[in-house]
This record gives sequence, structure tokens and C-alpha cells, in this order.
Amino acid sequence: MSLNDSWLFLQQGVLSGLVTGSVYALLAIAIVTVFKTTDVPNFAQGEMFMIGGYVALTLLLIVKWPYAVVIPLTLVIVAMGGALFQRVVMERVTGSKGVGVQLVIATLGLAYGLKGLVRQTGLGDTPRSLPPLVSGDAVLIGDAVLTRLDIAIFMVALVVMALLYLMFNKTRIGKAMRAVGMNPRAAQIVGIRLSHIRMLVWALSGLISGLAALLIAPKVLITPDIAHIAILAYAAAIVGGFTSLPGAVLGGFIIGILENLVGLFISTNAIVVAPFLAILLTLIVRPQGLLGGKPQLKKV
Amino acid sequence: MKFYKPLLLCATFCAAVMSVAHAQQEPGLTDKTIKIGLFAPLSGNAMAYGFDVMNAAKMYYDKINKEGGIHGRKLEFVVEDDRCSANDLLAAVKKLTEQDKVFMLNGGSCSGAVVGAREYIERAQIPYVMLNASGDGALYPPSKYIYGAFSISQRAVGGSMVQFAAEHLKGKKIGYINHDDAYGGWNLEAAEFQAKKIGVDLQVQSINPNLTDVTAPMLKIRAANPDVLIITTYARPVSLLVKKAQELGWSKPIVIAVNGTADLKQLVENVGNKDAFKNVYLQEVMLDVAGGPKLKWVYDMYKAYYPELAAKPGYPQTYMPYGIPSAMAVVNALKAAGPNPTREKVLTALSQTKFDSGVMAGPIELTPTDHAAQKSAIYLKFDGESMNVVPDTYRSLWTY
Repeated sequence: MSLNDSWLFLQQGVLSGLVTGSVYALLAIAIVTVFKTTDVPNFAQGEMFMIGGYVALTLLLIVKWPYAVVIPLTLVIVAMGGALFQRVVMERVTGSKGVGVQLVIATLGLAYGLKGLVRQTGLGDTPRSLPPLVSGDAVLIGDAVLTRLDIAIFMVALVVMALLYLMFNKTRIGKAMRAVGMNPRAAQIVGIRLSHIRMLVWALSGLISGLAALLIAPKVLITPDIAHIAILAYAAAIVGGFTSLPGAVLGGFIIGILENLVGLFISTNAIVVAPFLAILLTLIVRPQGLLGGKPQLKKV
Repeated sequence: MKFYKPLLLCATFCAAVMSVAHAQQEPGLTDKTIKIGLFAPLSGNAMAYGFDVMNAAKMYYDKINKEGGIHGRKLEFVVEDDRCSANDLLAAVKKLTEQDKVFMLNGGSCSGAVVGAREYIERAQIPYVMLNASGDGALYPPSKYIYGAFSISQRAVGGSMVQFAAEHLKGKKIGYINHDDAYGGWNLEAAEFQAKKIGVDLQVQSINPNLTDVTAPMLKIRAANPDVLIITTYARPVSLLVKKAQELGWSKPIVIAVNGTADLKQLVENVGNKDAFKNVYLQEVMLDVAGGPKLKWVYDMYKAYYPELAAKPGYPQTYMPYGIPSAMAVVNALKAAGPNPTREKVLTALSQTKFDSGVMAGPIELTPTDHAAQKSAIYLKFDGESMNVVPDTYRSLWTY
């Protein structure tokens, strides 16, 4: 490999990695938010993302509504779906003294249910794309090539991350979510309704999933199996720190870039292994993740 | 002589009785019928791979029955839905063999599902002719009881594509993107064999079927600067790779394997830009484009047998004609097995099969050491809308 090739690979690997990494980061934020407030790793995160893509696809291509209607409607539907699942299933499992394992199984049930639902519609028979909102024309940045769509994905993801940061730090709802994440009992004592906040958190998770799907579907195509992207978001959350929202963002970018650099400088066969190696390495060297703070001991 | 005559008569009588008894012992066989077990994905997601393929086989069998059957016996069928699932297919094969007691099996449209039944079929010692699965995993090493790849074997997919890229597109250095699973391994094996045989350089990038970002493989291929790019992946990675190739300014020929071209309209929609198809070739395993003049007889026959289905949008399904050569192989073997067929005789006849189906790009050839029937392909120049057939067929040279 010549020096020129290496330099090109590095530029392209980092820039393309930032684009896909921004979507992993969004999903990682959704995972971390749910985990922090409910203590449940949501194993249906990928399927919520996938269903967001199929809802948009149905509204755009079958119902033939314009994007101006489809985008808000998709976000509302997936967010309401998330909230409903928390209210109807998770709340009941918790209410009947369900332990963590039962809650995790419930999310797995949701994952299988959503995948089955899409397969039943026949829409999942072939990979499909959403018509892009932004053109796919190439833009040269240094020696690397991105498309206008890539840049739009990255920029929108950054804006959403900034809005989430503001919400968690400046709004009462955001602060209440953080309070429930830190100490649910104390939050309850000061008048925060746990069930209400948890429902909102699941709605937020659905909203972020729907948004991620709308952003990336024109680029990577949707199939019922696209839910596997959540594994990369999990890797991002673990690398960044499972309890840290900024960590989730950092982790997303690291995983996106790592995938490309491993593929370009080592082997394309190794791309899918790279996130798992990153998880292993993080768990060995810094189990709490890069921005996960000090390891905490729980009193039992 | 007086002493030998009764002995000779007795021996002849015994031989005749034993022969009749043996014929009667063959399951699924009567004086008037031969019972065949048919199975394919008739419902679920994978229905497009086999529903109409079985319909094509059934209409060919029906034609044979109308012409008087095989040595006076009519063909009779028991049909099962395998849903392209390994479990369902194995259950169907077991039911057809043990409960329905069919004489032989004809079915299977998905390689992964078919491979799972190999062990049982060998134990049950029942002749099995695949419908349209490539089924390399069940065909190599050859099993006495299993024959298949009537569409094309996965190995032949790779070999034929390299031949086309080198011969027609004059490629000396060929880029090759395949999957890093068994499927991809099979086509790469034959591609490497073919490349070595004809003296071209193969630059390989193997990718996971679920990859979301194809920047790395496509950029590495571009850096290697090959004359042609061959893609043997499934439909989703094909769309992503063609799209990425255009983004990166790739203008050299791209050849796409038959695996990734089931829905061309969707492929063009997914890529999102017809300019990406300026220099694209598609592999086709039939001898003409679907509905083309050389295949008109198959489509006319379908319309005559299934008028209601043919009137529906989306029918006949893309792979419909693939069912004909498989049914032809079954009929030819039963004919060659003679008026008193046994499973052994049919297996022997299958291993000596050679005929031109009038459907597939190359001849259907089965030998005792190679049970994959079809190894050739034609190529179509595709501009995102219309297709033109490139003259000649291109054959894979790989042998087991």
C-alpha cells in the first residue's frame, strides 16, 4: 500500500466513519437513556429503529404522503409505540414484582414481535430504500468523497445530540429523567412520578430510533434484519460508558471510524469483528467505559 | 437335457417372481402410477423463490401425463410447503418419505434449507432431485442420492463470471467482492480456479452480508485499480456497492451475479441514480431474458396452465422457468429406468443425464462424480431500464 493510498484511506475512513458513527451514537443515546432510568437494557432498540424505517416507507411509498407529513408522523408513531410498550408491558411486569431478567425478556419479546410484524406485511421481502431528502451528489473533502446526504446525516445527528443535551440539562423533564436515573426513590420522594417519566423515556427512545431510521435508511437500505445495527450502538454505549450520554456519542463515533479503519488497513473480513474487540478491550481495560466515571459499588 | 429343462423353467419363474416382488417393494410405485414428493416454499417470505418454480415443474409433469405418462404409469404428486426453512424442509422430506411413501423426491429452492436434509436423504436412500436450489453444500462431495443446481451451482456462478470478465470485457486484473460466508466461499473457490486457469489476476474483498458501510471494500477495490469489478453478494450489498462505486467515481464495468438481481426495479430504486448503471452487466442463468423469444414457449405454457395466476401482477415470478429442467431430469431418469423402475435404476439413470432443456444457458449434465447440473450463464448489458443480451455463454471450468 502506497503512502498516498494510506493517507486517502485514513481521510475517507474517518469521514465516512463519522457519518455512520453519528447514527450509532443516536441509537446509543436511546439505549443509555432507557438503561439509566429503568435499569433495563433495551434489546428491542434495533427493531424500534427498523420499524421506524418501515413506518416511513409505508407512509411514503404506499400511502403516498409527502415527507413533510411523513417525518413528524413517523416520529409520533414510533414514540407512542415506545411509550405504550412501557405503559402496557414493562409497567405491569415491574408492578407484578418482575425482576430485571423478566424485563429484559419483555424487550426481547418486543424485538421478535416487531420483526414478525414486518415480515407479515410482505414489505420485508426485499431490501428497500427511502427516497433521499438530500441529493446523493459527491462532495470532495480533502481527498475523501462524501455525499450531500452523508453531510446532512452528520449535521442533523449533531443538532439532535445538542437538543438532547439541552433537554437533559435545561428542562424540567430532562432533569426529572436524570433524577430518576440517579436515584429513583429520592426522585419519587420529591414528587416525580416514576411511571410517567419512564413512559416519556421510552417515548424519547422511540423518537430517537425513528429519527435515526429516517436519517440512515436512504443510505443503508432497510430490511427486517437491519435491526442488527443496534449491536453497534450497544458497542458504542459500552465503549463510551453505559451510564454516560456524552460517552454514548463518543462511543458511536469511535465504532463508526474503527469499522472503516479496520476494513481499510487490516481486512474487510474483520469489519464485523472490530466492534466486539472494542467491547472486549474496554471491558478489560476500563470496564466503566471511556466516560463512565468511577466504577460504582451498589449496596445490597 | 430332459433333466435341465424343468430346472431352467423353475429358475426363470423364480427370477420373474423375484423381479415382480422387488418392483412391488419399491415404495410409491404401482402398475399405473409413480408417486413423487414435491416441496418448495409455497408461503412466507421466500415464496418468490419457489412457488412458481413448482408450478412450472407441475405443468411439465402434467404435460407428460397427458402424453400417456412414463411407460404407461401416470405421475402422481404429494405436495409440501418447506417455507425455505431447514426445519420445515426436513419435516416435509420425512413426511413424504415415511408417511406418504413416495418413490422419489423433487423439491427445494433454498440452498441453506436443502443442505440440512442431506443426512436424512442418505439414510433413507431415496432419490432426491432439487427443484432450483444451488445446494452446493449438499452436492459436494457428491452423494449417491442427491442431484441439483439445475439453475446454476454457486461455484459455477463465480467461475462463469470470471470467464466473462476476462473473455468479453478483456479484464486482466479483476476485482471480486463476495460474502464471507459459505455461499461466498463456494463462488470464490471456482472464481480463483478459473482465474488461475485463464491467467488473470483476482483482487478479492470478502464482506459480511449485514455490513452497513461498504466504504472500505469499495475503496480498496478502487485502489487496486482492476479492469472489471465482479459482485457476487445478495441484493442489499449489491445496491450499496453500486451506489458507493458511483460516489467514488468508478466508471469501469461492473458485473453482478444472478444472486443479487431478483428484483431489478427495486435495485435501480435502491441505488437511486440510473447513471450508476452506465457500465453494468447482469449474470443470467437462463438462455434468454425472462419472457424473451427463446423462452416464449415456457411463458406461453404457463399462461395456458395458470390463466388466473398469469393475469395477476407479479406473475409469473422471476424464477418460474427454473422448475422445467429439474422436472425434465426426473422424467428422463424415470424413462431411462425402463418399464420396471427401481430407485437404484433411477439413480443410475440420473448419473448419466445429459440433455438440452431449452430453458437454461447451458446443457443439463450429471455424471457419477458431479451432481451439479448446470454450469453456464449468459450476460446482459443493463442500463437501469432495458437489457441487451451479450452473445455467447460463459462456462465455469471448476470440477470437484
